[in-house]
Amino acid sequence: MREKLLLLRAFFKKEWIILKRYSVNSLGGILTMYVIFLMLFAGYKGVSNLAGIEGDTMEGLVVGYALWVFLLITYQDISFTLRIESQEGTLEQLYMSPHGIGWVMGAKVAASFLINLLIMAIILFITMLTSGVSLNLDFFSLLPVLVGTLFSSLAMGFLVGGLTLIFKRIDSYTQMIQFIWIAFISLPANQIFWMRLLPGSYGATLVRNITISNQNLIQIGLNQLLFLYIIGSTHLAIGYGIYKLCERKAMREGMLGHY
Amino acid sequence: MIRVEKLQKAYPAKKGSPPVQAVDNISFNVSQGELMGLLGSNGAGKTTTIKMLCGLIKPDFGSIYIDGLDLLKQRTPALSNISAVLEGNRNIYWRLTAKENLEFFAGLRGLEPRGMEAEIDYFLELFGLTEKINVEARKLSRGMQQKLAIAVALISKSKVVLLDEPTLGLDVQASYEIRQLLKKIVQEQERTIILTTHDMNVVQDTCERAIIINDGRIVADDRIENLLKLFKVKIYKIIVQGSLTSAQKSRLVEIDAVQEMEKFPNETAINVLLEKSETLYDVIDILRADSSLIKSIDQEQNNFERVFLEILERG
Repeated sequence: MREKLLLLRAFFKKEWIILKRYSVNSLGGILTMYVIFLMLFAGYKGVSNLAGIEGDTMEGLVVGYALWVFLLITYQDISFTLRIESQEGTLEQLYMSPHGIGWVMGAKVAASFLINLLIMAIILFITMLTSGVSLNLDFFSLLPVLVGTLFSSLAMGFLVGGLTLIFKRIDSYTQMIQFIWIAFISLPANQIFWMRLLPGSYGATLVRNITISNQNLIQIGLNQLLFLYIIGSTHLAIGYGIYKLCERKAMREGMLGHY
Repeated sequence: MIRVEKLQKAYPAKKGSPPVQAVDNISFNVSQGELMGLLGSNGAGKTTTIKMLCGLIKPDFGSIYIDGLDLLKQRTPALSNISAVLEGNRNIYWRLTAKENLEFFAGLRGLEPRGMEAEIDYFLELFGLTEKINVEARKLSRGMQQKLAIAVALISKSKVVLLDEPTLGLDVQASYEIRQLLKKIVQEQERTIILTTHDMNVVQDTCERAIIINDGRIVADDRIENLLKLFKVKIYKIIVQGSLTSAQKSRLVEIDAVQEMEKFPNETAINVLLEKSETLYDVIDILRADSSLIKSIDQEQNNFERVFLEILERG
C-alpha cells in the first residue's frame, strides 16, 4: 500500500510542478472556471428573479456543473495522458512500472482529481466572495458520492483510452462523449430504475438529493451509497476489461506507444 | 540474469500478405554484470527483442526469465528488475528538470524517498549533470538528455538495463562519454546491460559479448575478442609500385580472395581476404610474373564493422 501512496505522491508532485511551471496557462484555465461560476451565479440570479424562484437550487446548479467538470476531467485524463505520453515517448516508461498500468493511470487521475478539487474549492470560495452569493454545501456528504460517481468516469476513461491505444486519434469521439455526459447526469434516474445503471446518472441523482433536497449522507443511507459504488465498480471493471483487451491487441501487434 | 528461450514474434500483415516474422526462434542467456551488444541491420528484430524483454510486446511463443522470474507469467515482479531507454522515445519528461525527472521515475518504480536525495546527487554527478540539476530537460543538449534518460533507467535500481541505440544521434564527444559511463556502471554496479546499436565502435569499445541477429535469427553469439579473431589473420593489404597490367588485373579478379583493388597516383593497393594461406602466394606470383615491385604487405587491423558485415553476408 505504501508503494501505491508513493506512486500517487510522485504523480501529485509532477502535476503540481507543471501547474506551477506553466502558470500562465494554468491561470487561463482557472480564470475560465471562475468566469463560468460567475456566469452560473449571475445567470441563476437573473432567472430566479424573473421566475420568482427561491435560491435553494443554486447549490444544485453549481454542484451539477462541478460534477460534470470532474467527470470530464477524469475521463479525458486517461485518454489524453495515453495520447500525449505516446506522442512524447514516455508511455513505455509508464508501462514498465512494476505497479502495472492500471495503478499508474489510477494514480495519475487521482493526482489530477485532488489538484482540481483544490482549485475548484478555492475558485468557488473566491466566486462566493466576489459575487456575494453564498452556497450551503455539505462537503462531507458530497465527497463520497462524488468519488463513487467518478468510478464510472474512470471506466469511460479506460474504455476511450483503450481505443486510443488501437486507433491513436479519436478526438472527435471524445468530444462527443462530453455531451453524452450531460445527458447522463440530467436523466431522471430517481424515477426510472434502469437509468441508474448508466454512467454518472445515479451519482448525479444523489448529488441533487444532497444539494437540492438538503439530504445528508445518513439520510441518503448506506444502501444507496453502496449501490452507487457497486454500479461504479461494475462500470470500472467493464471499462478496464475493454482497456486490457485493447492493450493486448496493441501489445500483440507491437503498436503500443506508436503514434 | 536473463534467459530467453525460443522466442518468436510475427506481426500481422496487410491483407493478402503473409505475417512478418520479426523474431524467429531465438535463445540466449546473459549473466549478471555482463554488457552485451545486440546487433543487426534495420528490421533485423533488435527492437522487437528489446521490447519483448521490457514486456511491451507479447511474444507469440517462447519464454523470458529475468532473474529467475517468468516475465510473461510474473510480469510485475519481473518488471521491477528491468529498466530501459528506448530508441525514438524521449524516455524522460522534457518539462521537468533533471532532478525532478529522477525523483518522478524513482516514485514510479515505488522507491522510498528517504535516501533518494543522495542517490540523485550520485547519478547527477556520475553523468556530469550536477550543474544542470534544475534545468528543464528540454533545455539540455541531446547528449545530456540521453545521459539523463540513462540515469533515470539506473535510478530504478533494476538489475537489468536495456539500452536501445544509446548513442544514436550523438556527437563524438557525447558518444565517447556515454561509452565510458556504461563501462564504469558495469564495473561498479554489477548491472546487466544489453545494448543495441548501429555503431560498431560502441560494441567493440564497450561490450564483452555480442549477439548478431539477421532476419530475426541469431547468426552469431560470442565474445567480441573471439568474433574479431575469426577474421583477424585473413586480411592483408598489398601495396604495389605503379599500376597493374591488364593481364594482372584479369587474373586477380579471378581470385575470390581479392576483395578490391585501389589505384593511387604512384601505387596500387590490393586487399586480400585470405581463406587459405596459399592464396597469398598465388597473388604474389601474379604480381611477380610482370615484375611488379611489391612495396609492402601489411596485415590489416581488423575491426568489428568488418566482422559484422562478414557475418551478415554469410548469414
